[in-house]
Amino acid sequence: MALLAATMSFAAGKLTLMQNKPEIDAQLKAYAQAWGQKNGVTVVVKSIGGTSGGMGPQLKADYAAGDMPDIFAFDGLEAYKEWEGVILDLSNEPWVKSTSVAFKYNSKIFGFPVAVEGWGMAYNADMLAKAGIDPKTLVNYDGYKKAFEKLDSMKAQLGINSVVSMAAAVEMGWVTAHHNFNSLLSNGLPYGDLSVVNALLAGNVDMQRLQEYADWVELLFKYADKSVLLTGNYDAQVGAFATGKAVFLHQGNWTDPNIKGANATFKMAFAPHGSMKKATDGIFVAAPSFYAINKESKNLALAKKFLVDLAGTPEGAQYMVKEAGMIPAFSTIKLNPDGQLSKSVQEWAAAGKVYSWNQYYFTGDFRDKVLTPIYNQFAAGKITKAQFIDLMAKAFKDNAKK
Amino acid sequence: MLGFQQFGDGHLQNYKGCKWPFSMEQGGDNMTKKTESRLVFWIFLAPVLIAFVMVMIIPFFLGTYYAFTNWTSSARADSTLKFVGLSNFISSFKDPAFFYSFGITFLYTVLNMIAINVAAFLLAMLVTGQLKLKNVYRVGFFVPNLIGGLILGYIWQFIFNNAIPSLGKAIPFLNFMADPNNLMLSKNTTALLAMIIVGTWQYAGYIMMIYVAAIENIPQELIEASKIDGATPWIRLRAITLPLCAQAFTVTMFLTLVNSFKQFDVNVSLTSGGPSTMLFGQPILGTELLALNIYNTAFISNNLSIAQARAVVFFLVLAIISLIQVYVNKKKEIEL
Repeated sequence: MALLAATMSFAAGKLTLMQNKPEIDAQLKAYAQAWGQKNGVTVVVKSIGGTSGGMGPQLKADYAAGDMPDIFAFDGLEAYKEWEGVILDLSNEPWVKSTSVAFKYNSKIFGFPVAVEGWGMAYNADMLAKAGIDPKTLVNYDGYKKAFEKLDSMKAQLGINSVVSMAAAVEMGWVTAHHNFNSLLSNGLPYGDLSVVNALLAGNVDMQRLQEYADWVELLFKYADKSVLLTGNYDAQVGAFATGKAVFLHQGNWTDPNIKGANATFKMAFAPHGSMKKATDGIFVAAPSFYAINKESKNLALAKKFLVDLAGTPEGAQYMVKEAGMIPAFSTIKLNPDGQLSKSVQEWAAAGKVYSWNQYYFTGDFRDKVLTPIYNQFAAGKITKAQFIDLMAKAFKDNAKK
Repeated sequence: MLGFQQFGDGHLQNYKGCKWPFSMEQGGDNMTKKTESRLVFWIFLAPVLIAFVMVMIIPFFLGTYYAFTNWTSSARADSTLKFVGLSNFISSFKDPAFFYSFGITFLYTVLNMIAINVAAFLLAMLVTGQLKLKNVYRVGFFVPNLIGGLILGYIWQFIFNNAIPSLGKAIPFLNFMADPNNLMLSKNTTALLAMIIVGTWQYAGYIMMIYVAAIENIPQELIEASKIDGATPWIRLRAITLPLCAQAFTVTMFLTLVNSFKQFDVNVSLTSGGPSTMLFGQPILGTELLALNIYNTAFISNNLSIAQARAVVFFLVLAIISLIQVYVNKKKEIEL
């Protein structure tokens, strides 16, 4: 009995959090330790991220072993469904009122937004100025086409290898089949509009929209550096932009620390994607992941308090914005991050010019194993644009049959 | 008892006539000793045995059981464990990507076995010959084996993607290497070749050590006799060295076969299964070996039970192939 009591008190003194952003591991651990001391509990932070399934395998192993963390991160609807049975309803938490991007399902709140992130086409403002291109013209396909052609003719003058830093290797499937793919799903639509997603999930393909999107993909691949495009990893892709070898970067604001690390001094900001003929004046902004509380946790009250304090105390704000460099998802936090691209995302968001992230309505299987190879074939020039369109259309139809 | 005979004559003299406590004649005493030594045997074996049962035997049978269910290890709303018969196996065999992985794994295994064994044997010949500093070379060739496959994959990814093109830019007659169209990891055929290069670089040194031991065990008088008879080095290699290394071949073939077939870490870090290729008009991953296919099925497609079914097939195929290989090699040992 004594032993049992001892293990129980030990368990009560521990709160486990598993999250998927290794880049903020040190900052989160420091914050969690300080918070734990105040609240008389040890907070264990486990950070697992990167490619090949991310933290999914570890979470499954822990679940099978009966050792689920008290708080864990998930990235969207498909991941939510995977863990539906253990995710606690957080609709009545105090932070719900001060955010618009919490994870909602069946009009209940299940996820605490970790941050706000955004991507568009990051551009080197100095080079655009040198080439006499106004970033405001970069809102549709034609605007980009003109700009890319002009920049391509000025390669030597600007000292660049290519106009765009784009990656389409299988390892970089998250850039093509997740982020770029989202242009097809949400560009130009009201925030949260799922009409295109639902049509595609049902196997009904809007060929006009797909064709315009294929033009955009072709444009990006055509003006990209071939070695970065076909074999480059994250470092190669971001590095080409940070060292001034490319004018545009197809990435999001999470690249801020990497670009800073490469001692880049030029001015930069985001422009919208040009995946359509009509002007689409906004970038893709949402919460990339959410914290869920494990229903079966022995420390429900503490776990809830952890999230409440993260969103509602000055220490939480300091950690989130200044230490981890994230854009806060809560209107109660008034601090601003330092990174140029993060600031740009905040400006777009403040102006209300945002489109949603809808890629998570498709399974990881569909994105990584079906779409990624299609983009890769197109990038390598092994299939034509017409074949690309056919394969994409066929993929949606096959997916709907499953 | 045999041990006594190996002592010097003087020792044997000393023991003559006295009753050794462990000798067979003492029935009762012997029984307790026997149980005691049996106990000691099991106690010493227990840690390994428990670990082996816990992490190999139980998961093996549990996994085989899961292959016939809809197990997901997640908290889906509809996740009750159900017995689904052979449907996991059937859906696996209907998946072209699984077949492709099978084919490419066979191809990789055959090519990799040849490359590793040829390289290892040549290295072994080199470091058993008249070479100064041969121990330094032995260590040098062996060291890559001590680097983990994941790290190795990333190092070689850098070499293939950055170092080789830079070399091509710097040296005029190697210009073709700087052309992005010639990047090894950008096409699935050359990417497979790249995996073989890395696999050989990693494993040849280890296999070399086995060959070194075999070659050094060849009786010197055979070599000398053949030299007197006027045998050329080529004939000596064919008629003496190779046949007398037959036992080593059984071991090295087995090790390289199993190792190549199970290749995972270099696959993940070097190519992640890419670049893509077309199969029956469907783009699929071009260098996704079986182990990676199983992993991706489990954790990207979230189909743990199908992945488990594939793992069972994987085990059976590998077991059959390696049994055939050992049988054939053993037969060769006797023939040679």
